[in-house]
Amino acid sequence: MAPSVEVPESVGEVVGALAGEGSVVLAGGTVVMPEVNTTAHDLRALVSLRRAGLRGIEVDGGRAVIGAATTLAEVGKHERLAVLRPVIESIASPTIRNLATVGGNLFVKQPYGDLAVALLALDAEVDVAGPDGASSTRPVADVLRDGAGEREVVTAVAFDVPDAAAWRYTKAMRRKQNSASIVTVAAVLGLDGGTVGAARIALGGAGAKPVRATAAEQALTGGPLDHDRARAAGEAALQDAEPFDDAYASAWYRGRVLPVHVRRALLGE
Amino acid sequence: MPKSYIEVLVNDEPREFLVQPGTTLLGALREELGLTAAKRGCGQGTCGTCTCIVDGEAVMSCLVPVETIQGADVRTLEGVARDGGELDEVQAAFLEGFATQCGFCTSGMIMAAQALLAENPDPSREDVVRAISGNVCRCTGYESIINAILDAAQRRRATGGVQYVEGGV
Repeated sequence: MAPSVEVPESVGEVVGALAGEGSVVLAGGTVVMPEVNTTAHDLRALVSLRRAGLRGIEVDGGRAVIGAATTLAEVGKHERLAVLRPVIESIASPTIRNLATVGGNLFVKQPYGDLAVALLALDAEVDVAGPDGASSTRPVADVLRDGAGEREVVTAVAFDVPDAAAWRYTKAMRRKQNSASIVTVAAVLGLDGGTVGAARIALGGAGAKPVRATAAEQALTGGPLDHDRARAAGEAALQDAEPFDDAYASAWYRGRVLPVHVRRALLGE
Repeated sequence: MPKSYIEVLVNDEPREFLVQPGTTLLGALREELGLTAAKRGCGQGTCGTCTCIVDGEAVMSCLVPVETIQGADVRTLEGVARDGGELDEVQAAFLEGFATQCGFCTSGMIMAAQALLAENPDPSREDVVRAISGNVCRCTGYESIINAILDAAQRRRATGGVQYVEGGV
């Protein structure tokens, strides 16, 4: 049966509309609508965020706050988020990016969700609204691991915009445009002179959810950012990865190429 | 479930109609308004053959429930030719450059090209490839389509031709 479509005009109304059985949030529709159009789904109501006031980008003092219903295209065009442009342009096609949203990207299955991988490396914070006016701020890692609760909706994502010199991103794809990930690597490096003082490295295509490569972070920290240490970090990344098979690549292949792409990302190769 | 009453601007004409809940923009165009240029290929946003322009942006109309875009400004391929049926630059370039074979992707390709040229009147070949990267063609091998869009850009720059996507976002 075709689901009903609700178009609430506030976050409170969104949460209220999610109370019904079989209700789901409809953000850009790039994941929910294929399910509606082509599967035997049991969705009863689609709760659209289009008019809920969740769209917009603010960058203030190096801190970015992005409304959950902001499209990927809007992020990609924002002057002060230029450092994230390669992330955005690696995702799907311009026509999909005109619909797909920042909040929605947190909930797509791997090997999609490259922005979620980037947000994990950025240690983003996620604002979530729930019933009875409740709201909370959670680490993006928690939201990626646990999802949102019933009748909860992500309202915004916030992070410190990294310096270009500290930011690393690479996505291995089947072709240059519009491909899901084979492996995705995003990292923020705290460089102190030539030494890596701190590192946050996140991986896509390396498990059911985006994961932090903590072993790789440890291998990299406390020494120079050179070929040998980047290579060691790449090998260590396998400790946090559970590569999987799909139509894009086999688990074997993902495991083989992950260390290489981690090394290349870290060295900017 | 009750039908929903929809009012949208389609190709500059105010249109109003009733739809079953969950009807996509693509479904409404084809079934309610008889505008069949936008095609249903995959229903998943993968093939691009349903591409239309909504409020200045090219989108996959199969992914947009029409109830979520009340009041929107929608343009389809039917609204691209000039009054009297004269083809616009993109249509003419496709026709003369043999950029269409079976034709199933053509509507989506032309609408993706319209959005590109509205934003960037002088695109590089790489820009064109990016702009149509969500549109699948299984006949041409893309080269003739890419060439036609570059040709259309040149024609439009030469003539200062009408921009069919106004205002952008």
